[in-house]
Amino acid sequence: MTLLSPLSDIHEIGIYGNIENKTESNLLEISEETLKSIYQITKFKNSDSSLTNLSIRDLQISNNPMIVKSNLKTRILWTGPNQWLIISDDKILEDELKIFDSNNFAVTDLSHTRAIINIKGENSLEVLKKGCPYNFNNLKKNMSINSVYHSIAVTIDFIEENPYAMRIMCLRSFGESLYHSITDACLEYGYKAI
Amino acid sequence: MLHIKCPYCGLRSQKEFSYGGDANVKRPKLNAEVTDKEWDDFVYMRKSPKGHHLELWHHTSGCRQWIKVKRDTITHEIYQTAKIEEQIS
Repeated sequence: MTLLSPLSDIHEIGIYGNIENKTESNLLEISEETLKSIYQITKFKNSDSSLTNLSIRDLQISNNPMIVKSNLKTRILWTGPNQWLIISDDKILEDELKIFDSNNFAVTDLSHTRAIINIKGENSLEVLKKGCPYNFNNLKKNMSINSVYHSIAVTIDFIEENPYAMRIMCLRSFGESLYHSITDACLEYGYKAI
Repeated sequence: MLHIKCPYCGLRSQKEFSYGGDANVKRPKLNAEVTDKEWDDFVYMRKSPKGHHLELWHHTSGCRQWIKVKRDTITHEIYQTAKIEEQIS
């Protein structure tokens, strides 16, 4: 089976927008991220299972709102009370997920159900502010939010601060619309699609 | 635009929320005898107060939790928000 990425029809490598008097290093970088493993973990409402000592790849699961636990390859995003998104560069094995017992947790494989856009550069926050009503002054490195971007429900993961690097995720079917919105907002600053 | 303080996520734009109706309405107890009038009241009859109003909102594009909101129907000022299981004064 051929694997088609959600943005394969519209993401074209090149340099776009206002690039006059700018070096390539000053431009925003837009890229599509594919082949990520995404798992949603939900603790059942009637479960009294404790979260202490519950960790995956040495990352502790916690209920701290908007906090992301991360290492080089894996990030665990808090997406709501007792709900997390595990995003990893490599495949998460079934054995690793066995710590979430089926009496207390629901584990859902969401890989390939999301379009993921990476945006990097000093104006990344300005691009996000154009379409998202969240007050980005409150968002710091290793935090994530669920919000909307031009009315599309998105998850924004703040990966790096200097320079800014963000991962924006939405449902796969909204990917192209979101990509258009993001790249339109980037034109003012000039961007490099990689 | 309104800003609503989600008890889980903090201050967020109204765009992320969906209105869920009057928070004072109580569903008749399951399997209890209910008259047509009581059922009619539950399904259709709503007060339309001028001033403070206790409402349910759903943080649809955020943490997906139902919350309680005490809002002024004239000024739209939001006095208090709480988790669904919490009491609001």
